[in-house]
Amino acid sequence: MARKIGVYICECGPNIAEKVDIDKVIDAVSSLDGVAVAERYKLLCSEDGKKFLEEQIKKQGLTHLVVAACSPREHEKTFMEVCENAGINPYLFQLANIREQCAWITEDKDEATKKAIRLTKAAIRRVRYHASLEKKEIEGIPDVLVIGGGIAGIETSLQLASPDRTVYLVEKTSSLGGLITNFEKTFPSMEPGSNIIKQKIQDIEKNENIKVFTDSEVEEVIGFLGNFEVKVKKTTEENEVDEFNVGAVVLATGSTLFDPKKTPQYGYGKFDNILTALEFEKMNLSGEISLKNGNNPMSAAIIHCVGRNEKGYCSEVCCLYSLKFARYLMDKIPNVKVSNFYSDLCIPGKSHQKFYEQTKEKNVDFIRSTDVEVEKKGDNLNIKYKDENGKKNDLSVDMVILAPAIEPTPDASKLAEITSISQGDGGFFAEEHEKLGPVSTSTEGVYIAGCAQGPKDIPGTIIQAEAASGKILTSLIPGRKIEPEVKVSRISESLCIGCKTCLSVCSYGAITFDEAKKISIVNEVICRGCGNCVAACPSGAASIKHFAFDQLYQELTEAVQ
Amino acid sequence: MKEKDQYKDVLIIGAGIAGIEASLLLSKADRKVYLVEKTSYTGGTSIKFEEVFSNMECSTCMVAPRQQEVLQDKNINLLTLAEVEDVKGSFGKFTVKIRKKARYVDLQNCIGCNACFEPCPVSLKNEFEEGLSERKAIYVPCAGALPNVPMIDTEHCLRFKSKKDCKACQEACMFEAIDFKQKDEQLELKVGAIIAATGFKIFDPKQVPQYGYGKLDDVYTSFEFERLYASNGPTDGKLLLKNGKAPKSAAIIHCVGRDKKGYCSSVCCMYSLKFNHYLKSKIPDIKISEFYTDLCIPGKSHQKFYEKMKETKVDMIRASEIEVTKQERGIAVKYNNGNGKKDSRPVDMVILAPAIEPRDDASELAKILGISLDEYGFFQEEKPEVSSVITSKPGVFIAGCVQGAKNIQDSVSQASAAVGKILSSS
Repeated sequence: MARKIGVYICECGPNIAEKVDIDKVIDAVSSLDGVAVAERYKLLCSEDGKKFLEEQIKKQGLTHLVVAACSPREHEKTFMEVCENAGINPYLFQLANIREQCAWITEDKDEATKKAIRLTKAAIRRVRYHASLEKKEIEGIPDVLVIGGGIAGIETSLQLASPDRTVYLVEKTSSLGGLITNFEKTFPSMEPGSNIIKQKIQDIEKNENIKVFTDSEVEEVIGFLGNFEVKVKKTTEENEVDEFNVGAVVLATGSTLFDPKKTPQYGYGKFDNILTALEFEKMNLSGEISLKNGNNPMSAAIIHCVGRNEKGYCSEVCCLYSLKFARYLMDKIPNVKVSNFYSDLCIPGKSHQKFYEQTKEKNVDFIRSTDVEVEKKGDNLNIKYKDENGKKNDLSVDMVILAPAIEPTPDASKLAEITSISQGDGGFFAEEHEKLGPVSTSTEGVYIAGCAQGPKDIPGTIIQAEAASGKILTSLIPGRKIEPEVKVSRISESLCIGCKTCLSVCSYGAITFDEAKKISIVNEVICRGCGNCVAACPSGAASIKHFAFDQLYQELTEAVQ
Repeated sequence: MKEKDQYKDVLIIGAGIAGIEASLLLSKADRKVYLVEKTSYTGGTSIKFEEVFSNMECSTCMVAPRQQEVLQDKNINLLTLAEVEDVKGSFGKFTVKIRKKARYVDLQNCIGCNACFEPCPVSLKNEFEEGLSERKAIYVPCAGALPNVPMIDTEHCLRFKSKKDCKACQEACMFEAIDFKQKDEQLELKVGAIIAATGFKIFDPKQVPQYGYGKLDDVYTSFEFERLYASNGPTDGKLLLKNGKAPKSAAIIHCVGRDKKGYCSSVCCMYSLKFNHYLKSKIPDIKISEFYTDLCIPGKSHQKFYEKMKETKVDMIRASEIEVTKQERGIAVKYNNGNGKKDSRPVDMVILAPAIEPRDDASELAKILGISLDEYGFFQEEKPEVSSVITSKPGVFIAGCVQGAKNIQDSVSQASAAVGKILSSS
């Protein structure tokens, strides 16, 4: 069928009409190849305007539409809808921006008219090369894999599980609960931490829509939003592998503590009675805070920021749990003397300063210090430090508690690889966008929650668990199909030289290599049309639908003439 | 809560970054959303910023696509110039009364050409620009506001205020978009759940007179400074002193009002470091001093940002008892340094980082919603260890700075958390 392109120029009231001689534009484009009609209209985005366009498409039997009007940001969607309503494929349309890029910024009317002609001609040349693109639909499995059985994973599972959504909760260790099971209390409310988690674990066990795998590790995750194939291996049994399919994956693998042996100045591992924060939590939970010799410590130093310099970030919770430790000590040993060695007090959030002030009232010392070192002096430990004025000082204590930095678990890189996501600052899982995408990742359908994404407190972890659930509940609805991106990349089989450059630049894991044919293949369901592979491909084999080489070339040749 | 006769639609109060996130997510799940916004525009506070830490992304460019999406989304009914007046009922079955003020400009007919501003005879201070520039009685708050449709400020428009027969704007409009006959409307909505995301304001530094705010020229709040730097702001992004010259030195003072409020506002250290970048990018040889007590830069990416900022040779001064006074030429910042010694530093410009606090209407809205405020006046979450987005009233959720001071990332997380709560329970 011959092309019949309709070209419509919007006056946009006086906005375009006063700056651009629209009749001249019509004259200049009417006789171009394929143009069946070229007309002006007062305001095409108005209800009347849209109706006019729709009727024109039908009446004139148009195959393609070009509108010269405002920015695509403003009304591209509007006119694509007009095309759909009139029965032509919405991708057989091109919008020339002769308002923002022309009428509004060009003083001279002749110049503006010339530019408007050029932009409209460019759009006409481009649209000749447009192809129809069809929306696709794929089935989505509503079930979800949650990796990590700590507070983040538990919270996510409880929120997602329902009669039409099974949650597979995979935990590396033999029991659920994670780090929080060691906490007698949580700051700032000083509510019992281990009790909260016990109740939730019971809820998980009672929930028949949650399948729990303890002593298990995820071996393989292959697929895309709506359909990931998962392999889970039991670590205690040989060759026991479970296989199932899910629509989404949540990584809630938590964190571990920086090893203070890497900072030998604190004496950890060399002298007795120096504990990490976690060791101290466990000791406190056992009911008795005591020294190696069985006595209660009468003085304790809490050293903040252990490993902060090595890691290069502030772990957010150490100042606050150090305050909590002071409370633990004072609750159990009434006359104990507690000294905090810190550099900057980081207690953001509305109820935390109050917690600090209440703790300080109880005679807890805060010593702003640098160059802190721990050495043994007789039966005691001696803290050497420089005070705020740079003066050397020391303090003798019975016990030292270290607040080490929070870091990703050792298996983070393996899991990142399995799920095709990346690790960002500090080795934590990288979120899709620092501000707007805190729980999504570069792989659609793979989400992150809790300390696996970065250090945070329990409320912050719960928010992320709820947020990841929110994302899944909006994108994987039982019974609803998933619509993948239409403007995706494709790699020409005959042009591909098999150099694999595209594999290294694809952020979404959308490209695989066919070893038999020695060529790259795009998975259209995963591709999001970013264009990285197109820019990087040295043989010109990769191109994006709707932004193909010939389309851009034709448009540019006219625009830069 | 799986009864069949419960309402599925959701009311979201506040079209800032949190309200927008929640609306778009709910729409994706095929829920109808009423997005009620008090002002004439969406985007809230986030569109006042030129750039955001720590990747220094252009904030308007980051938020604008989402604002645009909200306008085009068929599931989202955006009600601007609207406020919630009454809420009755319970989770799944709320009846909400909304008062929607007339804009006097038709949202469909107006194309945002701004031709109506020029002829308006009234001129007054633009609140969006922190009073640093003038606007007309018919106006949009700033270039690029969305929806890009002006409103008539009836408190200042001659036609409404002084009953004069002024039609200057109407005559200038080629699209018959200006409609003096529009009336305020009362709407009654039936919704199943509510998310309150009404944001925050900043502490008024006049309450701490030692910082000289309101008394001395060239002492700015963080918001004022954001607008001075903004390319769509009152000076088109030029950083100038009141005397028209570029500042040669500047002081950034952290924790303004922290003692009064009793909490750390979470974001001031980071945005103060960002300001250091703002200043250096426009005036490379400017001398900057940051006066702080404790550096609070939690999170995996923030120390890296701090270290990058330090490379610009900013003076980080740990100080207490700060006082900003006038001196012969410019301003003096007097302070106690870490060693307890008094010191003073002359500067051309002072930027204050005031605490984040609840909006003035927070307590009224809390009352309407039937939820409680915490001791600082923020909306009270039920229990942070359980969830910080649920309130004492089932079906009423909170997100963003209305619950407490936080950055954009955490506001967005809370928004999608609130959506998760709604979708998993109704």
